[in-house]
Amino acid sequence: MTEATSRSRSAVAAHPVTSAAITILVAAAIFFSLWAPLYSRLTPKLGDFPFFYWYLLVYMPATSLALWLAALLQKRLTVPGAAAAGSPVAASESGSEDVQ
Amino acid sequence: VSNVNATTFTIVIVLFVIVTGVGFAAARWRRADNMMHLDEWGLGGRGFGTFITWFLLGGDLYTAYTFIAVPALVFGSGSIGFYAVAYTIMVFPIVFIFLPRLWSVSRVHGYVTPADFIRGRYGSRGLALAAAFTGILALMPYIALQLVGIQAVLTVMGVGASSTNTFVKDLPLFIAFLVLAIFTYVSGLRAPAMIAFIKDTLIYLFVIVAVFYIPTRLGGWDHIFGVAQAHFATVSPATHKPLGTFVPTSGSIGSTRLDFASLALGSAVALFLYPHAITGTLAAKRRSSIKRNMIYLPLYSVLLALIALFGYMAVADPVTAANVKKSGNAQLAVPYLFQHMFPSWFTGIAFAGIIIGALVPAAIMSIAAANLFTKNIFVEFFKQDASPALETRMSRWVSLVVKLGALLFAVELPHTFSINLQLLGGIWILQLAPMLIGGLFTRWFHRWALLTGWFAGMIFGTLAAYNVSSATASHWAGSSDIEFGHTVYIGLTAVILNLVIAVVLTLVLKATRVPEGADETLPHQYLAEPDEKPAPAPAGVGAGLEG
Repeated sequence: MTEATSRSRSAVAAHPVTSAAITILVAAAIFFSLWAPLYSRLTPKLGDFPFFYWYLLVYMPATSLALWLAALLQKRLTVPGAAAAGSPVAASESGSEDVQ
Repeated sequence: VSNVNATTFTIVIVLFVIVTGVGFAAARWRRADNMMHLDEWGLGGRGFGTFITWFLLGGDLYTAYTFIAVPALVFGSGSIGFYAVAYTIMVFPIVFIFLPRLWSVSRVHGYVTPADFIRGRYGSRGLALAAAFTGILALMPYIALQLVGIQAVLTVMGVGASSTNTFVKDLPLFIAFLVLAIFTYVSGLRAPAMIAFIKDTLIYLFVIVAVFYIPTRLGGWDHIFGVAQAHFATVSPATHKPLGTFVPTSGSIGSTRLDFASLALGSAVALFLYPHAITGTLAAKRRSSIKRNMIYLPLYSVLLALIALFGYMAVADPVTAANVKKSGNAQLAVPYLFQHMFPSWFTGIAFAGIIIGALVPAAIMSIAAANLFTKNIFVEFFKQDASPALETRMSRWVSLVVKLGALLFAVELPHTFSINLQLLGGIWILQLAPMLIGGLFTRWFHRWALLTGWFAGMIFGTLAAYNVSSATASHWAGSSDIEFGHTVYIGLTAVILNLVIAVVLTLVLKATRVPEGADETLPHQYLAEPDEKPAPAPAGVGAGLEG
């Protein structure tokens, strides 16, 4: 347990900038859709669409982009071979259900 | 039966038969060795890649909720209905945070349901029972919403509409129920997953056509928005308040911004607590499929936003608006709009899309609820040595019972806005957030504290929702109430209460050293990516031949 905890901590410690960037990307993606006062207004219009409506439409690809970047950055966090160190518990645990 | 348009009706029937037929054939093509295994009937064999997972999870979003309930709310109240758009945006970053962890730990330990995880994490059968019960209960109104959606389409098609007899009036509802029951009983999860693929293509087709074509008939977007803005600013002579809002407002007169944001946040957190959404997740083959889906799925939401705008088109089209007003049922807005705008053959395609689009998620939901009952209540508490074949039989029957419960919700609850059915389910399912999402990140919470918090949240949420009244209904009339002078989604207030109680009691129980139960999970398992299939499949591989 301590070994695994220290490893995930070290991943964050080893890449403080990357970790911060991931956090900011995901938090921003949530915040800018949650904070309704930010976009619940009529102007500026885009074409015939009032601000409230086109903001939400444009926001969706922006969210995709933010999460794509976050996932990309997360790959840099993983220490090679760390996550694969699998699951000795799995076999015995799910096997026990049959026995009962 | 009157006023049935023969062309529309025929096309709906033909498309329905083709699509379900192809779905079943495709499911057979990739079928596993033993359909009578719960992992197969209930999780599609846990072998779906990114592509199928996308359709499966997208299908959870694209339901009668999208086509009927959201436009109905937009038609009736204006911009507040767009909370659903904000919700389907923020759901993905929120889920991005915790869902991959759930996938990993479930794969390592062979968990099939959220309650399996709760039991393993907290070593508490009681807490797992609470989670299972909540999941089943919350899915019933959500399935009821699908039934109401199918009912709306059938009503506009002219099936059993004009009668005062209760049975005949509700005939479309009973037809919807029957079709769903037979469909689920036969199919299991594999066929809905395959059909999801076809029906989404169908839906994309007619939505895109509708979004480009209808505005040209109604004088352009500028006109549609203009009419809607003027309409919702009109002061109702009955209530002396505006009919709705064109953008969420602040200030003294009916502030809707907080309501908007709390509905969006509550729904977003709730979505992936639902057992069917978790089922869809666990059916994925790889952890990366989950993350990739969170990246692609927001593109689904674009369509949802466009569909929500159908509500304004219905306002801007005088014929549709008059039809809906005459029927007194806002749920009919989109079906009436299509019927008036399109030639009957195209209306048939659209209606078939909506019906299948409600049927598939309803099937997935009732399968998930049935799995939950079988795994976490029947096997856990009554028959620990059940054979896989017995489990599957059990699930099939329970899925029928769940649908009967849904039918009860559909008949009994007021129909002003069917979206309230989904929001009511949300109030209940949100009470799992502290134990489930909390549990994915920390083992700090005490199991009894979580159970007490859950109980308080459930009671408070249910009573608060029961007490919401309107001009037309004395109970269950809405999902938001007023707290400290602001209109807020009840689900959110209830889960905050739940969380506060859980925190305070955890501090107390830790101080008094009450046993915390065993935790069978390890920190690194939340990040694990085991290869392909998990160690033995959960319900006991090899035992599958008996029974």
